[in-house]
Amino acid sequence: MDLDLNAPHSMGTTIIGVTYDGGVVLGADSRTSTGMYVANRASDKITQLTDNVYLCRSGSAADSQIVSDYVRHFLHQHTIQLGQPATVKVAANLIRLLSYSNKNMLQTGMIVGGWDKYEGGKIYSVPLGGTILEQPFSIGGSGSSYLYGFFDQAWKEGMTKDEAEKLVVKAVSLAIARDGASGGVVRTVIINSEGVTRNFYPGDTLPLWHEELEPHNSLLEILSSVNIEPMST
Amino acid sequence: MSIFEYNGSALVAMVGKNCFAIASDRRLGVQLQTIATDFQRIFKIHDKVYVGLAGLATDAQTLYQRLVFRHKLYQLREERDMKLVLEIKIVYNAMRFLMFCRFGPYFCQPVIAGLGDDDKPFICTMDSIGAKELAKDFVVAGTASESLYGACESMYKPDMEPEELFETISQALQASVDRDCLSGWGGHVFLVGAMIGLKEYWNLQQLVD
Amino acid sequence: MAQSAIDLPLKGGFNFDLCVRNEMLLKKGVQLPSFRKTGTTIVGLVFQDGVILGADTRATEGPIVCDKNCEKIHYMAPNIYCCGAGTAADTEAVTDMVSSQLQLHRYATGRESRVVTALTLLKSHLFNYQGHVSAALVLGGVDVTGPHLHTIYPHGSTDTLPYATMGSGSLAAMAMFESKYKEGLTRDEGIKLVSEAICSGIFNDLGSGSNVDICVITKGHKEYLRNYQLPNPRTYVSSKGYSFSKGQTEVLSTKIKLLKEKVEVTEGGDAMEE
Repeated sequence: MDLDLNAPHSMGTTIIGVTYDGGVVLGADSRTSTGMYVANRASDKITQLTDNVYLCRSGSAADSQIVSDYVRHFLHQHTIQLGQPATVKVAANLIRLLSYSNKNMLQTGMIVGGWDKYEGGKIYSVPLGGTILEQPFSIGGSGSSYLYGFFDQAWKEGMTKDEAEKLVVKAVSLAIARDGASGGVVRTVIINSEGVTRNFYPGDTLPLWHEELEPHNSLLEILSSVNIEPMST
Repeated sequence: MSIFEYNGSALVAMVGKNCFAIASDRRLGVQLQTIATDFQRIFKIHDKVYVGLAGLATDAQTLYQRLVFRHKLYQLREERDMKLVLEIKIVYNAMRFLMFCRFGPYFCQPVIAGLGDDDKPFICTMDSIGAKELAKDFVVAGTASESLYGACESMYKPDMEPEELFETISQALQASVDRDCLSGWGGHVFLVGAMIGLKEYWNLQQLVD
Repeated sequence: MAQSAIDLPLKGGFNFDLCVRNEMLLKKGVQLPSFRKTGTTIVGLVFQDGVILGADTRATEGPIVCDKNCEKIHYMAPNIYCCGAGTAADTEAVTDMVSSQLQLHRYATGRESRVVTALTLLKSHLFNYQGHVSAALVLGGVDVTGPHLHTIYPHGSTDTLPYATMGSGSLAAMAMFESKYKEGLTRDEGIKLVSEAICSGIFNDLGSGSNVDICVITKGHKEYLRNYQLPNPRTYVSSKGYSFSKGQTEVLSTKIKLLKEKVEVTEGGDAMEE
């Protein structure tokens, strides 16, 4: 087995952004790995950019952290100059600008989500090459390949906040079940006119999917519950 | 072949009671062929500071020239020798050379030995990009370093008097280079202490092969 | 002085003079030397009133142990320390550089350094070199905003954690933390857990070894426990040792030179007449 601890830190990830009636829900798992080793099992991949804009990061951890640090810096300046909160579109455009002009150096895909008074809740996806896509919902990271069909079926226009969050948590837990590079807990961020709510769903409270077992503290517990007879001669 | 094995070298420094010794072999080879048997790897920076440079001979000489250049500039500017007090100063100075060559290093592993401001002996070694290792007992470098580690580990005793230190370092060096094809042909020992001054020895090695 | 301006990199930065030559040697099949690495176990955890950092003390060069008792917990600021794993020269240089930047920053602001400041300086340097400066760090400290513990990877990514491990022994050490860490440890419990984690690295990872160093940082106070534990004392030392009689080594020639006497300049005497 090659652990390859020298491999760059990367976030084989599941990240999701969904719009609903009145705002957006962002969701992500919490696994950060170097090669085969889970370097951080409770990382926060949903980063705050401004009061009303958040960013889901995937790909190289170093690259996405630098991009988000720069964009946060620029947005703070912009907010001060403007005298009012930056829009989601401006944030997304700044990310696109950095992603596109450094596309040879950066290995990161991001989903920007937020709420502003002009356009309400918006999701922008900025994938690898630095394009920008305004979408009603967006999925990203290695876990997203397991979710395209699910979202085509399950996403509906005009969902309520609770429906949207349920959808996000369900989708991330589905991806965690199938994608080895995603795991840990589910984090969500809900942004609407009233502000921001952060939610946290521990790994042992997630729904169980096909062939998954209840979490147990020890293998011995499983054995003792089955009550195996000792072999008789 | 590692670049350190191109010329071959053995280098060791030890601390004794109020004195230190630094010793090297005298062979210069091109791989297995011996080119010279009076090669110098230990250089005097001034009376109290000596630098041994193991590794690629061309780089050892170049690096020595740059060290001398730096030291002479320092002497002109400050009108005194570089002190070891700023103990780490020479070390650090040497290190700066190496460090800035992080992505294109000189293929040298320096061993630095000297007397500090209160004439306390001080030895130190670095890898080729300037990671320094300060030791209280002994340091080694070069192709014979593996056997030198063993020899010094067993022969070294703390607080040796100068005569004993000389015998110990010479025996350790000779024992080690006998097990290394790429170094040998006699030794060159500098024994330095505030009370005893500088003693420079050229050893004849028993086995000249 | 023009010459020296070229020769001495006064403004800092790396020197790439020998790169072309070394590249040529590499193409000819010459193996470039291995650098001193700290195949390492370094750890850190947050306890009830601060941060505890821990490290082993082995430095290696390939399979050779070249230093049995080196220091891997580096000073950053009076209230911040940093454990380093990876290429020894890089961890040393990068922590030295950042600690001097922090010192200057303290002179400029007159305030205690913050851990995030150190974190940002370190990560931006490492990110600039895209992983070529191979320093993996565990940064810990207590500042005005409380205790902080971060890990920094060579590529410049950072994590913020209640307990962290790095280096080749990180898996062994993490196993101890994962099974025994809980929130709100006391100082003694914390030190015990850190030393257990380091010992687990020392005994289960070949790249780590020798002794345990610990650094406890609390609000306004720090304690550097160098060689807190010595689980590997030297057992193979002979009581008498080797002794060589004088004159055993054959000497071809000898040169003896006395060192220059220090000249004492005595002030005093009569002042010069005007």
